[in-house]
Parts: sequence; structure tokens; C-alpha cells
Amino acid sequence: MNTTTTIHVNRDVKAELKRQAAEMREEFARRGTLVINVLSSPGSGKTSLLEATAKHWHNRRRMAVLVGDLATDRDAQRLAPFCPVAQLTTGGACHLEIPLVQRGLETFGTDDFEFLFIENVGNLVCPASHDLAEHLRVVLLSVTEGDDKPGKYPKMFRTSNVVVISKSDLLPYVPFSVKAAVDDARLIQHDLRDFTVCSLTGDGVAGWCRFLEETREQMIADASASATPTLSAREPLAR
Amino acid sequence: MHEASLVRSLLSQVSNLLLEHNGESVEIIRVEMGPLSGVERLLLEIAFEQQVHDTLCRGATLQVEEVPLSAVCRDCGDEFDIERFRFVCPSCNSTRVRVTGGDEFRLLDVDIQTKEEALPR
Ligand SMILES: Nc1nc2c(ncn2[C@@H]2O[C@H](COP(=O)(O)OP(=O)(O)OP(=O)(O)O)[C@@H](O)[C@H]2O)c(=O)[nH]1
Ligand SMILES: [Mg+2]
Ligand SMILES: [Zn+2]
Repeated sequence: MNTTTTIHVNRDVKAELKRQAAEMREEFARRGTLVINVLSSPGSGKTSLLEATAKHWHNRRRMAVLVGDLATDRDAQRLAPFCPVAQLTTGGACHLEIPLVQRGLETFGTDDFEFLFIENVGNLVCPASHDLAEHLRVVLLSVTEGDDKPGKYPKMFRTSNVVVISKSDLLPYVPFSVKAAVDDARLIQHDLRDFTVCSLTGDGVAGWCRFLEETREQMIADASASATPTLSAREPLAR
Repeated sequence: MHEASLVRSLLSQVSNLLLEHNGESVEIIRVEMGPLSGVERLLLEIAFEQQVHDTLCRGATLQVEEVPLSAVCRDCGDEFDIERFRFVCPSCNSTRVRVTGGDEFRLLDVDIQTKEEALPR
């Protein structure tokens, strides 16, 4: 005779993935590597911002980039003159996942970096659901995309720590209010930091770089202050 | 978007539960999803139908419970549901809110069939 038994679980289906990401995040923090997941629609200026960042630091900071691309190594080639870069060809996948990141890290060998940028695949939807063990999730919104976009992609903006308004040199030519865009984003995520940059002229890049340096110093202080460092204050996918 | 891989993970977790409990078969799998779980219900159900036959869960039914996006205000402590992704407290208008539910895809519980030991007469 058979009987029915109910097994109570009540657990996030992605609990194991999230635990793995949190563990990697702590390990990066212990080694002093600030991990930054950079996201946006296609062409908002992710690679350009990373080029401008590398130029600004000009080898004074050790940075590396993992760049996700559907099919080509064009972004990797653009960044290669400035810093170590590993190409993650996703073969059509619309977002990066941790195993791809791990494979990319292997190509760097034992090198330690102060800043590890992960340029995600251009997409404002799917990457929002994937924690890549980053300490900072940064979403770019270029002024040609329209200032109404944050509300249309709530998960992306809710789970981000920073919004970078990019291509500020084009503001005179398009109907885009930086204030309206940032206000709309803050209705979704109160704690968002915002920066406005032009990667072509370098306008605003110094402030962005200073913020990254301060965030890394804070991360190191937090990691040494507690035996089991947590970055709850800026945990990505924050509730 | 990534419902297929979520379902793969769900079915492997439930299959493991079945083995752990020495079950015969899985009857019902209850899951919960909310507006920020990144899951589309129809795509989830289609992915489930496509995959379930090839697993230990074959024959199981998926029951999906949709929950609202819920939050608590970090300023006044009010608890409320978030409508249309406006993260604003209805009591004090603060935007400092913490999400407490509706942002995950959760496995709630599983009904399995187990063979009852032959009872002594
Ligand atoms: N006017 C102006 N153009 C910019 C700026 N930043 C980037 N661009 C241009 O925008 C285009 C796209 O920039 P990318 O840096 O390739 O954008 P991306 O986000 O890396 O693109 P994908 O990786 O394909 O998603 C290029 O033609 C850049 O030259 C800027 O600050 N101002
Ligand atoms: Mg790029
Ligand atoms: Zn309130």
C-alpha cells in the first residue's frame, strides 16, 4: 500500500548558486579585489567607460576585465592595450554565469588585481537575475536611451548599486533629463549612487574612479574588521 | 528567459528529495514565484512539461503560487505590497524600503508516494 507524504522545503531554488556567489565574493574581498559587474543595453558605453577608467588610472591601479560577448572578441581587443583582459564568448547566451567567470579567471593565473570588472552581455533583463559574485553592480544608461528607462527595467535597477548616466556630451542634442532619470531609478532603488560621465572626453571619470577606490578601501576595512566578512550593506540583489 | 535552467535545477532538487526519502514517485511540486523572481509563469509551465518526463519526477504536477512583491519600510516599519514596482511606503512616502517577498522562485513542498511497510497481522 502506498501513502502520500508531504516534504516541506521552503527554499529558494537558487539557494545553492547564491551561496556559491557569496562565498566567492568573500574570498575576493579577503584578497583585496573589488569585483564590479557592468551592465547596460547594447552600446550604452560599457567598454568605453572601462577604457576611460584604465586611461585615468594609467597603471597606478591594477585592474583587469572579463568581457562577455556573444560572438566576437572586439571588446577584448579594444581593452587589451590598457589592462589584462579575458574574453568570455557566450555562444549566444544572453548573460554571464559564474562558471564562465571562473573559466575567465583561470586565464589570469595567479595574478591579483585591485579591481576586476566584468563587462556583461548588453541586455537589461537576463543579467539582472545572475549574481556573479560582484561587490558592485553598475548599470549604465546612455542619454540617447531616454530618461524613462529605469521604471521599465525594475529588476535591473532594483538590484544595482550604481547608475552611470553615460554619453553626457550628447545631452544638448537629446531630450534627456539626468534628474528625471535618476529620480525614476531612486523610486526603485533608494540606495543607488549616480554618476554622469562622458567616456570620450573623460568628463566625470575621475569622480567615478575615486568612488571605486573608496569602495575598495571600505571593503578591505570591512573584511578585516570581521572574521567572516559580510558586505550586506552593498550586497547585490539587495532586498 | 532562463526558465529552462531553473526547471532543470528544480527537478534535480526534487529528484534528490525523492531518493533521500525512499519515495516511489512524486505527485505534486509546489513552488512560489513573485513579480521580481525573473520567472514568466507560462514559460515556466512549458519548460516543466518538456522536462519532467525524463526525470525521476515523471508524472508529477506543478502547482504555482503567485505572491505579491512585499516590503517593509525602513523608516516607519509599515508592511505593504508594492504595486507596479513603485518602491514607496504608502504610510510615510519613504523610498527606503526592504523587499521581504516576491523576489524569489521558491520550492515550497513536495508530495511523494512512499511504499508503506507491510504491517504485521
Ligand atoms: N558621444 C559619445 N559616444 C560614446 C560615449 N561612450 C561611448 N560612445 C560610443 O558609443 C558606441 C558604443 O560604445 P561601447 O563602449 O562599445 O558600448 P558597449 O556598452 O560596450 O557595447 P556592447 O558591448 O556592444 O553592448 C561607440 O560608438 C562609442 O564610441 C560617450 O561618452 N559619448
Ligand atoms: Mg562592450
Ligand atoms: Zn514608511
